[in-house]
Formats: sequence, structure tokens, C-alpha cells
Amino acid sequence: MTGYVYFLAYEPTYWDDLPIEDQKRIYADHEAFHAFIRDRGTLVASAALADADVATTVRQDGRRQVTVTDGPFAETTEMIGGYYEVELPDLDTALEGAALLPRQYTVEIRPTIAIDPL
Amino acid sequence: MTPLERVVREEWGRLTALLLARYRRLDLVEDALGDAVTAAAARWPTAGSPDDPAAWLLTTARRRIIDRLRAEQVAARRAPLLAVETERRGDGTVRADPGGLVEDDRLRLVLMCAHPALAPDAASALALRLVLGVSTHDIARLFLVTESTMAARLTRAKKKIVAAAIPFAVPGADALPARVDIIARTAYLAFTAGYAPGSGPDLLRTELAGEAVRLVRLVRGLLPDQPALTALLALVLVQHSRRDARVDGSGRLVLLRDQDRTRWHADEVDEALVLLNDPALTGRLDAAAESYVLQARIALEHAMAPSPEETRWDRIVACYDLLLGIDPSPGARVARAVALAEAHGPEAGLDALSGVEMPGSHRIDAVAAELLARAGRVSEAMAAYDRAISLCHNEVERTHLERRRASIRGSEA
Repeated sequence: MTGYVYFLAYEPTYWDDLPIEDQKRIYADHEAFHAFIRDRGTLVASAALADADVATTVRQDGRRQVTVTDGPFAETTEMIGGYYEVELPDLDTALEGAALLPRQYTVEIRPTIAIDPL
Repeated sequence: MTPLERVVREEWGRLTALLLARYRRLDLVEDALGDAVTAAAARWPTAGSPDDPAAWLLTTARRRIIDRLRAEQVAARRAPLLAVETERRGDGTVRADPGGLVEDDRLRLVLMCAHPALAPDAASALALRLVLGVSTHDIARLFLVTESTMAARLTRAKKKIVAAAIPFAVPGADALPARVDIIARTAYLAFTAGYAPGSGPDLLRTELAGEAVRLVRLVRGLLPDQPALTALLALVLVQHSRRDARVDGSGRLVLLRDQDRTRWHADEVDEALVLLNDPALTGRLDAAAESYVLQARIALEHAMAPSPEETRWDRIVACYDLLLGIDPSPGARVARAVALAEAHGPEAGLDALSGVEMPGSHRIDAVAAELLARAGRVSEAMAAYDRAISLCHNEVERTHLERRRASIRGSEA
């Protein structure tokens, strides 16, 4: 089994203009994805995220001076709107799962790593 | 070819696949096989070649891998393993029946190298390295990069395979056609890199093209029912058959119509003809297979014309019309314009060229220049040659363009 995180990205306003039928389909897509992950592996964690415009970014300079700013750290047209952390046998399975997610998403699949203690 | 060279050339992919299936360590298998070859190079010339060279290499490589695994256990390191289909795990021994299983393992290897999650140029290089056993040094030379660049590219691809758990497996039946597409494109990418490279001093790198043909054959042997592979093999065979006529004795480009047709390999053309009549290619084909079939038919029209004047350009234009219906690439549109010019005169070709764009490529300007010169529009032709020359990175082609430009300069009004 390999650990993966799915980063789900989409245009911030895509939901607002969606007809109710398409919104229902998005819910159904997520349910299908859940069922797939439970069937083929494990769902470790997940979260839907509030929009990037209510994010807060923290940076530190070399002298422990902390700077807090309004907004996400990466300005992109698509924002990350949620994530799933899963365990699946291989990338092909992960890709099969990704195909179930709503078509409005761009999905990044990143393997997780274990950090060994020093 | 020495026995060692032959076994490396013919068996590398099979040995790699067997070892990967058994030990699942992409990092160790290649090194172990390489060490085995080095040991053989030292041993066989004096002690004589073994009766079964492949088995010798396999046994030697296995010992190296087991030694490394033992050393790692002592150091308490855990290295990531290839994801291999579950029914293969837990079986501690190499299977007694190598026949069908070996073919499956080599297919798994090809499919792993041609996975969509790998960058296309990495996939081509990896396929040449792992499936055909071409050395990193030679692959670098063939793709016109430094050896360290190619080594880094291969390392990154292998790292991706292990970290993202790209499986050493045959996907389900519904996923297979898409993957065959990628394999075909990977192999064709390697072939076109050798057939018409964009940069560098040599117009042709026939060795790379030859290796790509070998790759297509191998994959087709593993997946005999995939029409795209049959069609692709026909296409590359016909294009490859012209390799000895495309450059003259002084290393200069020879255009198709000026090539010595006796130097075309007729047996390869015949084989392509037989392939195109394969029953696998009747009936409805997917876009990829259809595209290769049409391109192969076009190539065959040239190959079968006894002389350039007898080329059936009308049939070629008809094939391009169909091809553009499936795959309207700029390259195909330019090629159609060339064919149209041959069939109906340069102005018809120039009309077909309008609106076609190939950013960064000299091809459109080169073709336009040729057609403008034929149409007697000399100053426009000169301007087009200038643009083409400035964009062309291949020395042999650029010399050709400069000579063409110089030859029409005399007819300036």
C-alpha cells in the first residue's frame, strides 16, 4: 500500500453558477469516490476547505520575525478546495479513483512519505 | 557480434523484467545486470562463453542482488519496492515455466515504462534503457543530450515510478487500449527522433530509428491483437527502409524525389505491405490505429512508385484528407500542402499552407520557400528561405536550405 494525498483544485466561483442538477452530481461523484477508496484501500483523512480568500499566510524571516498576511501563499487561478488522504495499492488505482471525482476539478496526486526519526 | 553483445541485445529486456518481477527493486536490478555483463566481458573471452549465456547473466545478477539485500538488512535500511500484482508476491522462487510468464513480465515492463504519469521523453528513454538494454551513453547521444543529463532524466523517471508506485503490472482490459496508445507514441517518438531529428549535425541517426523499430516489433509480439501496433510497425518499416538513400556520400540531405530508390530496403517495404493487409486492420479502428494506417499508406505510395514522376499524388492527397479528419496536426497539414502542390501545382500548395502554424519550427517556411520558388515568386521565396534558415537547428538541413536559396538567387528578376 502507498499513501497518497489528492489535492482538489478548482476555479473559486465554479459552484455559484452551477445548476442544482450539477451540484447534486458533484455530491454523487464524491460518494462514488468514497466507496471506491473504501473498497480498494483506506480513507485516512479528508477535508473541504473554505475559499482561498479567507486564508492567512505566515512567513518567518531569518531572525524569527513573523509576518502574517491575508490570502493564500500561492496566487493561482485555481485554488485548492479540499484534500483526501488515502492508502491504495498503486498509482493506477489512484488514477481510477481520480476519474470518479467531479470533472470540474484539477486533481494533483502526491505520494506521502514517512519521515524517519533522526 | 560477440555472444555477449548478442545476449545483451536480445535478452536484456527479458532478464530485466524477470528480475524486477522477483525482487521489485528498480534501483538494484539495473546495476546488478550491468555488473553481470562486466563480469562476463572479463570472463567469457578467456574461459569461453557459457552454453546458456542468458542464464549465466541471470544467475550472476541474482547473486549480486541478494548480496546487496543482505548488506541492506545489516544496515537496517528499507528501500521502496515496486508495486507488483499481488498474486506474484509471496512466491519466493522464480517460476519453473519461463514461457508465457516471461512474455507477461516483459509486457509489464513495457507498460511500466510507457505509463501516462511519466513525461513522454523520459518514457522513450526508459523504454530504450530497460526494454532494449541500450546504454545510457548511447541513449544520450541518440537524443542529443549529455550523458549526465540523460542519466538524471532516467534516474528521475525511476524515482517517480517507485515513489508514486507506478505498478509493474498489466492494467485491466478497458485501460489497456489507452496504454497501448502511449506505448505506440513512445516508440514513434523514439523513431522520429532518429528519423528526422530537429537539431544537431547529423541529419539521420539510423541506430536510434532501428532501435525504435525493434521496440515496436517487441511490443507487437507481446500484444499481437492491437491494431495500432501493427499499423505503426508498417509505418516505421517503410520510413526506415529509406535510411540509406536519405543522405548522400558527402553527408548532404537528399530529397525524396532525388533519392536512389535502389538503396531503399525493398524487403522492409514488402513486410510493411503484408502488415497493412493484416486482418487486425480491417473493420473499425480507433483514431490512433487509423492515423498510423493512413500514414503508412502514404509512405507506401512513395515506396511503391517506380520513379518520382509515377508517384500517385492524388491518392496521397486523399489519404491526407482522411488523416486531417482524424488528427489535424500542423505537420499533416503541411505534408498535405506539399502533396497538393505536386498534384495540382505550387499555388494550390501555397493556398493549403495559409493559416498553418508551427511555432519554433522552420518547416512551414522551408516548404513555402520551395513552392514560391516553383511558382516563380522569387523574392518572396528568398524571404521565406531566410526565415527558414534562421529557425533551422539541424546543420545538414540548414546547409541544404542555404544551397537552395543560393540557387534561385540567379533567377531574381
